[in-house]
Amino acid sequence: MSSLEISNVNKFYGPTQALFDVSLSIGKGEFVTLLGPSGSGKTTLLKLLAGFEGASGGRITLGGRDITELKPEARNFGLVFQGYALFPHMTVRDNIAYPLKVRRMAREEIDQRVRDMLELVQLTRFIDRRPSELSGGQQQRVALARALVFKPEVLLLDEPMSALDKKLRGDLQDQLRDIHHRLGTTFINVTHDQEEAMHMSDRIAVMNHGRIEQFDTAFTLYRHPASRFVADFVGKSNIFSGEIVRGAGNVLDFRGDGMEIRLDAADRAPGGADLMIRPEDLAIETAPPADGRVALAAEVLQSTYSGDRALYALRLANGREISAYGAARTGIHPEGAKVFLCFAPSDATLVG
Amino acid sequence: MSRAIYWTSLSLAFTFLILPLVVVLPLAFNDSTFLTYPMEGFSVRWFGEFFTAPPWLYTLGNSVRVALGTTVVAVLVGGLAAMGTMLAGKWGQIVLSALFVSPVVIPSVVLGVAMAYAFGRVGLGSSYYALVLAHTILAAPLVFLSVLTSLKGLDPELDRAAASLGASRWHRFRTVTLPLAMPGFATGALFAFITSFDEVVVALFIASPESQTLPITLFSSLRDRLQPTIVVVALLLSIVSCLFILALNRLQRRSLAAR
Repeated sequence: MSSLEISNVNKFYGPTQALFDVSLSIGKGEFVTLLGPSGSGKTTLLKLLAGFEGASGGRITLGGRDITELKPEARNFGLVFQGYALFPHMTVRDNIAYPLKVRRMAREEIDQRVRDMLELVQLTRFIDRRPSELSGGQQQRVALARALVFKPEVLLLDEPMSALDKKLRGDLQDQLRDIHHRLGTTFINVTHDQEEAMHMSDRIAVMNHGRIEQFDTAFTLYRHPASRFVADFVGKSNIFSGEIVRGAGNVLDFRGDGMEIRLDAADRAPGGADLMIRPEDLAIETAPPADGRVALAAEVLQSTYSGDRALYALRLANGREISAYGAARTGIHPEGAKVFLCFAPSDATLVG
Repeated sequence: MSRAIYWTSLSLAFTFLILPLVVVLPLAFNDSTFLTYPMEGFSVRWFGEFFTAPPWLYTLGNSVRVALGTTVVAVLVGGLAAMGTMLAGKWGQIVLSALFVSPVVIPSVVLGVAMAYAFGRVGLGSSYYALVLAHTILAAPLVFLSVLTSLKGLDPELDRAAASLGASRWHRFRTVTLPLAMPGFATGALFAFITSFDEVVVALFIASPESQTLPITLFSSLRDRLQPTIVVVALLLSIVSCLFILALNRLQRRSLAAR
């Protein structure tokens, strides 16, 4: 029951405000990612959690204990840095043993734990190497072992993959998720890479301009974004701006960008609204459908074939550009082809 | 063009720096009492003279003791100053650095007069401690600079990492900062030793006959009796300097490898 509660945290740097009333409730053993573009405040929030920066207002509690003012060395939080921050004058063994020596553990215990950690990150044969003799991915795994060996209550990861190439990143993501399952430690990861966030996290907090836009599972973020920013930032999307009007028979219609759609949602008041359709929700047909789906006439501008499917850029009659995925097993629609984009009204989501 | 500059500067350096040494140094092995060519025969008797006749060995001992004392005090003072400066803000660092380095820009003659007078007033006179103190003022800025440089080269994330792993400020300093700044301290110590060992102007003002250093003896015997022993001393000092430069070189390479 040692959950991490962040309540109404504000942070000022002089006159500029970096965090606005940030509140998050993170359960024990959860894998949470703070996702946002640069300048969104995600790194500031991580620094506050690590204790490197003080909060200008608000409280952070761990299992009910107020840790807002606690020094970093007293928090018992593991931290994996973007640049690894391994001690260059120590071997892998001494790097990992460092937090244990600080805690004055017995030598046998230290030895055992270092070996266990090295096994966990699969680096046992590098125990006597210096950090400079390891590759980037290996260094990052040593940093992970060092941050976990003292069984911290929370592990903070500050863009741990950003210096690694794509293939290595995927491997390390799998490893990290696996380690999280095995240890059950609370993980808090910071990244601007939405694929990484969706791949690893139980829940994702999307941040923008110092605020939490939405804190939810990857599925909810993707299918039911709470704001236009989230819809835009997480995954590819087509967003239509328009308004909700009360149509015939007291049902709600969405009008905008040259289309009119009957909405399922009954709880919306009329007024301005954004409608999101994901590229995979659109089917590309050569003839208008007869099954009641919405159909928009469009022209193919460009296609990007990726084997399993193709991503199309298309243009609607009113000039609006749309992206859509299409099956590519039997061929690709050529550039300039006239097609119909079809979707069920229930696949369109109102955002914001 | 750059090749021409390279060869010009190389030949100028050789003509003015190396050639005089090459001409003079063989005289250390001359059998004659005079410092002249042609050589009268090969002999190592002036080496014997250096190691037996007073005041050579005695003043060498003085020089080494003063240089060692200076090294210890300068490393302490300069090193602490550098570490303190690192804790200051940006403007504080600029001001403090300027202050700590200022002794270097004051002419040694001025320093010599000022210190001889001041030490006389406080009763330090021309003791061993007075010399160590005077040389420390000259050597501490060099230690300060080399330690500051190596501290500034450290990744600040390392200290944060150590903090996140539970280490207190003092423990972090002892186990992370200090070992990584060690090349800076060692370089500074070598500079301090060489500075004191070579120093003649301030020493002339402060040293008494009992606390005379080797450079002073060298200087006065140049005037009094022009014997080949001087060249022997010059040769020995050159060898010591070369060894120091080699040591510095190694230190720099090691600190580069640690990055």
